[in-house]
Amino acid sequence: MSKRNDISTPEGYFEGLQQRLSGIPARPVRVSPVRRLAPYAAIAASMLLAVTLGNALLRKTAVPQENDGWTYLSYLASALDPDGAALVDEATWEEEEGPYAEDIVNYLLADGITVDYLNYVNYEEGY
Amino acid sequence: MDGTEQVFNQIVKEYSERVYWHVRRIVNSHEDADDLVQDIFLKIWTALPAFRGEAQVYTWVWRIATNEALNWLRREKVRAALRFTSIDAEMERRIDSDPFFNGDAAERKLSKAVARLPEKQRQVFVLRYYDEMPYEEMSEVLGTSVGALKASYHIAQEKVRTALGGETLFDGTD
Repeated sequence: MSKRNDISTPEGYFEGLQQRLSGIPARPVRVSPVRRLAPYAAIAASMLLAVTLGNALLRKTAVPQENDGWTYLSYLASALDPDGAALVDEATWEEEEGPYAEDIVNYLLADGITVDYLNYVNYEEGY
Repeated sequence: MDGTEQVFNQIVKEYSERVYWHVRRIVNSHEDADDLVQDIFLKIWTALPAFRGEAQVYTWVWRIATNEALNWLRREKVRAALRFTSIDAEMERRIDSDPFFNGDAAERKLSKAVARLPEKQRQVFVLRYYDEMPYEEMSEVLGTSVGALKASYHIAQEKVRTALGGETLFDGTD
């Protein structure tokens, strides 16, 4: 079976084709709007990429601040109490420890229990 | 006429006919092959200033031609899907309605069997069987190993043979 004779072209087609193809360099170059905008889109995309990468890099390399005012405790408090009525942070929490112990001592002294007696009880109970 | 234009005209003179026959076997229509050949040569002209001669002109031209033919097939597949038809049915319709198809019933059957091959296998089959391109050149054009091309051609050959009911159509092309 022949491989090429089963299909043909119109008479003189290849001469005409060569002439048409040879005319391609003389054709005015049409630039589509998409192609015209492509460089600007590429610049915008690369800038966006640079900003995103820079941001990610900064987040990754930044040293965490020890007291940046936002801790797990304060996060938990705000989550439990969105109005912030009971909002406490670690600093406030620590400050409240002192007065609380002092209040207990004052309460006991007001009841007539002396510090010496408290020390004596601690000693007897092995504290 | 500058140097680039001279080179382009030489390429047109040397390759236009071969590229046309290759494309025609892929698209199965004279009108579409004509349009596609023009697109291919327009691409060649546009890319010619950037051609650095790292590949042979022959390989470079065929690479553009085969890529464009493959892109055309993919676009056509999408178009066929949008018309709720299959690319195979569309190709069969083209073969049946092509006024420049002069083959007999067996040749028509062969063309339809080739049109039903998956796109890459079809390309390998057309390059090897119809264009008689050596495997080494095909390897450079398609960027695939000779072994893989031989395997692909063998599979394509078997599919076509089965579609033709075991009829032998291969005259010595391995």
